[in-house]
Amino acid sequence: MCNGDCGNPLVPIPGKLIKIIEETPDVKTFHITTDQGKPFTPMPGQLGMLSIPDVGEGMFSITSQGQEHLEISIKRVGVLTDALHEAEPGQPVGIRGPYGNGFPIDKFKGRDILFIGGGIGLAPVRSLIGYCMENREDFGKIEILYGARSPEDLVFQEDLFQNWPKAKDTTVYVTVDKGNDEWKGNVGFVPAYLEQINPSPKITLLCGPPIMIKFVLQSLAKMGFQEDDIVTTLEMRMKCGIGKCGRCNIGSKFVCLDGPVFTLTEMKDLPPEY
Amino acid sequence: MKGILRTKIPQALDALSSGAQVLAPMKINGVSRFACWGQQGELVLGASNTLIPPKDAVFGQTEKMYKYQMGQEAVTIEEIPQDGPQLVVFGIRPCDVRSIQALDQVFLTKGFVDQIYKTKRDRSVLVALGCSQPQQTCFCSSMGINPLDADGADVMMWESGDTYSLEARTDKGKDLLAKLEPFLTDVNNSSPPSPKFSLEFSMEGVTEKLQKMFEHSIWDKWYRKCLGCGICTYVCPTCHCFDIQEKNIKDGQGYKFRCWDSCMFPEYSLMAGGHNPRDSKKPRIRNRFLHKLRYFPERYGMLLCTGCGRCLRECPVNMDITRFIREVREVTLDV
Repeated sequence: MCNGDCGNPLVPIPGKLIKIIEETPDVKTFHITTDQGKPFTPMPGQLGMLSIPDVGEGMFSITSQGQEHLEISIKRVGVLTDALHEAEPGQPVGIRGPYGNGFPIDKFKGRDILFIGGGIGLAPVRSLIGYCMENREDFGKIEILYGARSPEDLVFQEDLFQNWPKAKDTTVYVTVDKGNDEWKGNVGFVPAYLEQINPSPKITLLCGPPIMIKFVLQSLAKMGFQEDDIVTTLEMRMKCGIGKCGRCNIGSKFVCLDGPVFTLTEMKDLPPEY
Repeated sequence: MKGILRTKIPQALDALSSGAQVLAPMKINGVSRFACWGQQGELVLGASNTLIPPKDAVFGQTEKMYKYQMGQEAVTIEEIPQDGPQLVVFGIRPCDVRSIQALDQVFLTKGFVDQIYKTKRDRSVLVALGCSQPQQTCFCSSMGINPLDADGADVMMWESGDTYSLEARTDKGKDLLAKLEPFLTDVNNSSPPSPKFSLEFSMEGVTEKLQKMFEHSIWDKWYRKCLGCGICTYVCPTCHCFDIQEKNIKDGQGYKFRCWDSCMFPEYSLMAGGHNPRDSKKPRIRNRFLHKLRYFPERYGMLLCTGCGRCLRECPVNMDITRFIREVREVTLDV
C-alpha cells in the first residue's frame, strides 16, 4: 500500500474530506486530511491534485491550510467537481502535491499590497492574504478588492465582512455586478470600482475570470501600476502536474511547474495562448 | 572487430531472450514496429525504419499506474510495479536513439523524475543500427544526427554484406556482447559507405526566427489542410504527451493508467467549464511545430525532431515539416 512515500509522484496519497462548507450556490470549500495528518504543506499560491479515484482527478489552488488539513475551494463546473459537490464529509479522496511555484512572497514583504479577486479567483488570493495575516508585521498596509456576480455569489463571507476588516491596517472593498434588496454595498464591475477607489500604485495580486483580468490590467496601467508589480495566476488543463504530460504549456513554460504564478512582465514574454 | 552473420541473428536473439525482454523491428500483420522477439513475424533490419517508433519500449502506449479500491471509510491505493527483466532494444536507428535522449530530458529532468519511465529506461540496453541507405523521407542529418553513429547507444552495429559488425559503447553494451560471444566472428573493420540524403537543409537560425513568428501569417496557410487525425503525433518518436484516465472495473475498484495523447485533438487542452486556449486547428498546428522547433530547444537545449520522417510518410494530406522549415528560412521579418 502506498502512504505517499512510494516514489512515484503520480500516485496520490489516500485521504478524505473531513468538512465541507457551502460558500455559494456553486462553490464549496473542502477540508482534506489523511491518516498521517496534513497531506503536505504548500506555500501560498501552490496547487494540489485532488481526486475521487473512480471519477477523476483535477488540479486546484489551495486556498488555506490548518495544522492537520488543507482547504480547497471549488466551483462546480464539470464531472469531478459535480461529484465533489455531491460528496458528504468522510468521502475518501486522493491528494498529491504541492505543485507550482507559488506567490513570490519576498517580493511582497515590507510593502503595501493590493489584492484583487473576482468570483472563485479569491481562492488563490486568499492563500496569500492568510499568510500576510499570520505574519502581519512582515507586510505593510493591505487593501482587498473583491467582486462577484451577486451577493449570493460572494465567497469567504466571514473573512470579507468580519475577519479581514478587523485586521490591522486592512481595508476591504466588496462589489457585486448586480445587487438585491438587502445588498447595501457597492454595485458595479471590479475595474470601475477599482478606478473609483483609485489606490496608489503598489504591488498587486490579481486573480479572477479572464474578462475581469483584461479590464483590471487596463485600469492598473492607467493608474500607473508597474508591470513587474502585478502578479497573477494562469490556468491550463493539467493531467500530471509535474511538467511531463505536455498540455499545460504556454510557449516553453509549463503552468503546473513554472506557474501558475506569473508577473505581468513574465506574461508578456509568453505567447498569448491561455 | 567482432561481428555477427545475418543468418545467426535469430539464434542470438533467442539466446538473449532467455534472460531479457528483446524488442526487435518486426513486421506483424503488415505493420512494422518494435515487438517482443519470439512473436510470429518477420525481422526487418533493411533500409527502412519501422512505422511505429520504439518509444513504447520506455514510454508505453498504455501504462497502468496504480489500483484503487473505494471503500465507505477510505480508499486504498496500490502502486503497480514497473520492474521487469532487462529490455534489449535491438536494431534501433540513430534518429530513434536521439528521440530517447529527448524523452530522458522530459521524464528525468526539471525537478521531478518520472518513476515509471526511469524504471524502464534503467532496464534498457540500446543496440543501434547505423543507417547507410536513408529513405526519401529521412532528414536526420539536417537535425544534427549522424546516421552511422548513434550518440547514446550501448552497442553500435553496422551492416556490411552478409554480416553486421558490432562495437560496445558502454559497460551495459560490453555485457551484452559478452552474452553474444558464441555467435560472434571476426570481421573486417570496413567503414560503411557515407549515406546520401535527398532531403537536406540547414536549421541555422530557425529556432530564433520562430521566436518572432507566433503571430506570422505562415500559420494561416499551414493549418488549413490538417485533418486533425493525430497520426503525426502517434508515429512521432519524440511526442511524449500523455493522458491519465481511470478504468473502473466494479464496485469502486479499478486502476489508473496513462496513455499517449495528442496535441492535435481538441480535448487535449479543453478545460472544465468549456474554455479551450487552443480551440482550433491553427493554434494546435502552431503549438505542435513550435514545440518541436522552438519551445523544446528553449527549455531543454535540443530539437524535438529527429528527422525520422515518419510524419512525412504517414500524413494523409502531406503535411511536411521539412517544407515548413524551409519556408520559415525564406520568410523575411520586418525589423
